[in-house]
Amino acid sequence: MNPDMSVDELLNPRIHIVCGKGGVGKTTVSAALALVAARHGRKVCVVEVDRRGSLPKLFGAKSPSYEPSELSPGVWGLNVLQEEALAEYLNVQYHMQRISRVLTSSHFVDYITIAAPGLKDILVLGKIWYLEQDRSADGKHYDFDTIIVDAPAAGHMAAFLSAPMGLSDAVQVGPIRRQSDWLVEMLQDTARTVAHVVAMAEEMPVAETVATSAALHDRLHIAQGAAFVNGLYPKIVGASAERAVEDGSEARDGLIRAGALVNLTLDDGDLDALADYARFLSSRRKIQARHLRALRKGIDQPILKLPFLFSSGIALPEIEMLADDIEQQALEL
Amino acid sequence: MNPIAEITGHKEIIVCAGAGGVGKTTTAAAIAVRAAAGGKKTVVVTIDPARRLASSLGLKELSNEPTQVSKRKFAAAGLDLKGELHALMLDTKSTFDEVVLRYAPTEQQARRIIANRFYRNISGTLSGTQEYMAMEKLYELHAGGAYDLIVIDTPPTRNALDFLDAPRRLTDFLESRVLRWFLLPYVKAGGGFMRFANVAAVAFLRVVKRIVGGSVLDDTAEFFANLDGMYDGFKARARDVAALLQSETASFVVITSPAEESVLEATYFASRLNEAHLAFGALVVNRVHPRFGDGSGATPRQQARLAQGDEAARRLAQLLDNEASFMRIVRLEEKNLKALARKVPRHRWVHVPYLEREAVDLDGLAVIAAHLFA
Repeated sequence: MNPDMSVDELLNPRIHIVCGKGGVGKTTVSAALALVAARHGRKVCVVEVDRRGSLPKLFGAKSPSYEPSELSPGVWGLNVLQEEALAEYLNVQYHMQRISRVLTSSHFVDYITIAAPGLKDILVLGKIWYLEQDRSADGKHYDFDTIIVDAPAAGHMAAFLSAPMGLSDAVQVGPIRRQSDWLVEMLQDTARTVAHVVAMAEEMPVAETVATSAALHDRLHIAQGAAFVNGLYPKIVGASAERAVEDGSEARDGLIRAGALVNLTLDDGDLDALADYARFLSSRRKIQARHLRALRKGIDQPILKLPFLFSSGIALPEIEMLADDIEQQALEL
Repeated sequence: MNPIAEITGHKEIIVCAGAGGVGKTTTAAAIAVRAAAGGKKTVVVTIDPARRLASSLGLKELSNEPTQVSKRKFAAAGLDLKGELHALMLDTKSTFDEVVLRYAPTEQQARRIIANRFYRNISGTLSGTQEYMAMEKLYELHAGGAYDLIVIDTPPTRNALDFLDAPRRLTDFLESRVLRWFLLPYVKAGGGFMRFANVAAVAFLRVVKRIVGGSVLDDTAEFFANLDGMYDGFKARARDVAALLQSETASFVVITSPAEESVLEATYFASRLNEAHLAFGALVVNRVHPRFGDGSGATPRQQARLAQGDEAARRLAQLLDNEASFMRIVRLEEKNLKALARKVPRHRWVHVPYLEREAVDLDGLAVIAAHLFA
């Protein structure tokens, strides 16, 4: 990626695939990226794959349906269920409505999954292709400028994205074969698709992010945008404050006097607690910095740092904050 | 008494369960390290393909058969080893092959199944297979009688309960009436369509043939034909495994973080264990933000005035801001955990705080064990 990447460059191709290990905050990053795009006047659709609808909750909206629905101004959401993608495919291609109740039973879906590994993934990616081509099953035109895919967790991610390339030999002909060729083109075209990795500054997530990034490059040949690192403790306490509060420090009395000036009475116990929290913050920050260095060594793309949120949950205000952070850092890159 | 120490002393099987990313594998390894050091012949079984467990035990790699950790490695970490420690990483495919070999009436039939392409796809694609094979491996190790204690971690599923339900999903699939009814015309006619087969089934077969190709259908037919007569074996074993998990010898350790989703999952899991008559041994709460005192009680107004004051005032403002931020998280975590305490009594809890180092070697595992057994 260009070193003088601006927000426009970050949002450049239409399809953004957000990848990472489970629990690192892919959905949060997808939502924040969607807000950034919407702020820049783009009509965005976030595609979740087989989720329980955590994304709409972030926007305070109801669970999204199989077709796009607007979650907040300019941001649309869509939950693609593999079972539904399969049912839709059978109905459209083979007019199987008649016995489709049986065909969408879990055993049949299991059967197809085993018989043709990767088929479900191709159908889900196909749904994204249809969105990109602005051909939806309900006949409406959405005309999305940006499509953000909240990809399945890392374990399944490679299989998901490589499905069109490694389709079982059995499926060499027919509509599925044709479609997988289109999907490979879509995913590998740098003007159409970019992948972003999401990590946390911890040992395992960093190791997995490096592996994911390598897989995207070496095996999947998908262009990469930024690496997002979630949950970084911000520098709330400066070095001089950290030193001042230490037990035995001369500056400690100064802190007590400063409190007294605003009618805040602090005893030694209070200051000990302040010191403990300052030390805890600094030790966590040191550990995170170490893992961040390891990540930087392991990947080539620019790193966007997102803060640990000291809040009771993640909702729109928090996503707005993260979107601010992304915008600001994209300008500085 | 510490609940982890109690079950490690009295049980033969410890199953570590919990949502993904809460430290299951590390907890299982730490329990095993301590048990082995204390004199038990212990084996730890991991499902996680991560290489970290192997390297933290000082092993190059793990296989589907137990590998022993040398006494020298323990000594190097300053640990006295009175028992033995073995480790293995579940290989779903080989374990499944062993199961097929055991239940097939003839070895020839087993070989035919193992060579079948449809069968080979099952272990990589059908969810539940890994869980089933984990339980199978557990049963086999226990029946072999070579170990005093087996510590097993469960697959990193999105839902911690999957491993309780999943084995049934595999047997249900293999036995599926609907599926067999639809495939029957194909199986009976030896690969061709039966002339008088039911219309829906023929339509179904045509579609499947279009999607996956005729050769896959042939593989499927052969697979189900060869599997005939083996279901009873599968089912009997599944019952035996369930009975073993419900017996006096097994205990469950649930691992959670204080985050809301993780706590919700642990709470639900605790009640499910209860319903399924499985023994709840201990709850491990990982990575709880520490509480230092009760907070200085500065008002937002006082904070704002300090932030605009002299150098000492600004320093104090930073410190207070930091404390207030962490206190918010501490209170939130306490609230989350309080809900869990209604399901799991506190004397079953063990806390592992944020640690300076991650468990990358035996030393690190021993540090975690010290907290688990404190």
